[in-house]
Amino acid sequence: MTNSETFLALADFLIPSYQTKPGFRLVSTYEDGLHALGFRSDLREAFERALTVDMSVGAEAALEKLNAQDDAAFSALTTIVITTYYMNPKVRESIGYPGQENVAYDSKATQSYLVDGSLARVIARGRKYRPTPGL
Amino acid sequence: MAVENLPQRARRDEEVDVAIVGAGPSGSVAALHLARAGFSVVVLEQGQWPDYADYTGARPEHELVSTKVWHPNPNVRDNPRDYPIDTSTSDINPLMFAGVGGSATLYGAQWMHFLPSDFRVRSLDGVAEDWPFTYEDLLPFQLEIEREVGVSGLSGDPAFPPRGPYPFPALPMGSVGRRGALGMERMGWHWWPGSNAIPSEKFGELNPCVRRGTCLTGCPEGAKSTTDRSHWPLAQKAGARLVTEARVKEIQTDAAGLATGLVYVTANGRERRQRAKVIILCANGVGTPRLLLMSGGSRHPDGLANSSGLVGKRLMMHPFASILASYEDLLDSWRGPFGQQVYSLEFYETDERRGFVRGSKWNCMPSGGPVGVSGAMGSKVYVAEEGRFQDFWGENLHRNVAKRFGHSLVWGIVGEDLPEESNQVVLSKTLVDSDGLPAPQIIYKVNDNSQRLLKFNIDRCLESVRAAGAIEMLVSVPVRESGWHLIGTTLMGTDPKTSVVNQWGATHDVPNLYIMDASTFPTSGATNPTATIMAVALRNTRRLIAERRSQKVA
Repeated sequence: MTNSETFLALADFLIPSYQTKPGFRLVSTYEDGLHALGFRSDLREAFERALTVDMSVGAEAALEKLNAQDDAAFSALTTIVITTYYMNPKVRESIGYPGQENVAYDSKATQSYLVDGSLARVIARGRKYRPTPGL
Repeated sequence: MAVENLPQRARRDEEVDVAIVGAGPSGSVAALHLARAGFSVVVLEQGQWPDYADYTGARPEHELVSTKVWHPNPNVRDNPRDYPIDTSTSDINPLMFAGVGGSATLYGAQWMHFLPSDFRVRSLDGVAEDWPFTYEDLLPFQLEIEREVGVSGLSGDPAFPPRGPYPFPALPMGSVGRRGALGMERMGWHWWPGSNAIPSEKFGELNPCVRRGTCLTGCPEGAKSTTDRSHWPLAQKAGARLVTEARVKEIQTDAAGLATGLVYVTANGRERRQRAKVIILCANGVGTPRLLLMSGGSRHPDGLANSSGLVGKRLMMHPFASILASYEDLLDSWRGPFGQQVYSLEFYETDERRGFVRGSKWNCMPSGGPVGVSGAMGSKVYVAEEGRFQDFWGENLHRNVAKRFGHSLVWGIVGEDLPEESNQVVLSKTLVDSDGLPAPQIIYKVNDNSQRLLKFNIDRCLESVRAAGAIEMLVSVPVRESGWHLIGTTLMGTDPKTSVVNQWGATHDVPNLYIMDASTFPTSGATNPTATIMAVALRNTRRLIAERRSQKVA
């Protein structure tokens, strides 16, 4: 198998299609994974090692072996798979994630806790601190 | 010491009035106020100026990059400007960042004063030591620092003595905060809108918060208050000189036992010396004792300023637990502010019926993006060691993300850490930094009091989130990657035999050597310490300025 075929087989086992959520291969490519890897050069060696795993035993058994015998390779592979997937705009749209967005607000707007009585009840429960002067 | 009342810009080879090690919260406060008072000031900082374009919070790759480049553990970050730390003998990893702004570069900006009882734990609870000063003594400095930092919050909290208003209104409480408060309300417990070192309006070099929610990995908006923006523009204008990529390796002293200067290593490996009349260490609870232990020389083989034998001992790191609670409702839980939308001091004070002394502070935070809450990557704080990888992958990944992403909050529980001499910073015999200097080694065990404290608080927190309708609760305790608060390793006190510095931060052994970071704190409280660190630094600095004529120098 080529590196691309191994990567996609492992990624598809890790992130299959489920209900309305697409599987890895339906939205992302090996090249997308390499693009993500470009942000984390520290993972490159372990990632490349992960792709040399024996795939003749099937994706699940191959991942079991990696997890048991080469934690760094397993971690590098799964890190790239999950972040590649959730960086994808279609995936983000499917889970309602706009990214870490900028949210405008009015800093002087009256907060609900000031008018709905909830903070007043905290105050009504009285002083919590232990005063210390005179000790 | 004679100091002209005019700002003086120091040249590299001249003796300055004050040399400061570290450009984090305390060093920045000292530099600004000393320079304004006319002292010539040089600050040596081992890190660099932050480049805000490097903060990835607004970019798609954020969750991938931040778990390495902006990880708070220097051993994970592996940046040559940091020093490595031997944590093989510690239950908790110390977290820090080298750079202008210090470790606050990666803090959540939760802004909390210590409480009155924190200064009187011996008198009230019979443990540890009282501080040499009180809450009331420190309060004016706390309020002054708040104005310099640009804190947002709401006054009137009954968990604190009465105080004036915060400089800026509290940041908006998102759905996460409201749900956290709902649980507390249903239990009849204390909660209060979060106070944060994040101005809600434009303030000096600080931009108003836009709720990006990536405070812990550097604020790309320039809205989180760190001293590279709040203090350094003013300090440099006042004449303070900042030398970056300058790693201090030794404090030099003369035959009379007075400090004469600092030896540091530049980025290209050259050794330089900075002479100074007064030296102030602001290198945090690990870096400060490390430097003292490296500085003894033949006259002080156990380390400088260490006649008490306490340098490096009594390390406190605030054992921490977290609970991720998920709800049916959408809480937009990727939105900030990350610091704290709500906090609770319900269990802050001692109640001996609980089986432990002292208490805790809780803070309610958003849970972040899909990768983090999946449990499949990153900090793995909610992944059991014995878990099978299939529990977090395949269809389970989709189920977990659907349940948690956007629907969850995190309660962080900070427990007061009692000082023990066995918890300490020593010099590693084998590990060195990129300049060949010995790395610190941490010897630290979470003590029985902390274990009981955390168990009690977790049980109560689970009651609270259930009361608000949680459908899933994941607990992590103690969180290994949680040593943000590095406290206690150069104890403050009145007796030179049993403490390292006096109440003004001057070391008993070397009168012109000061320490102004949290190393000096006799106890740790249970609140985030940056507010108190900066206030104590301001108090000490003001004293140094006032006593300049009587300051003993070499």
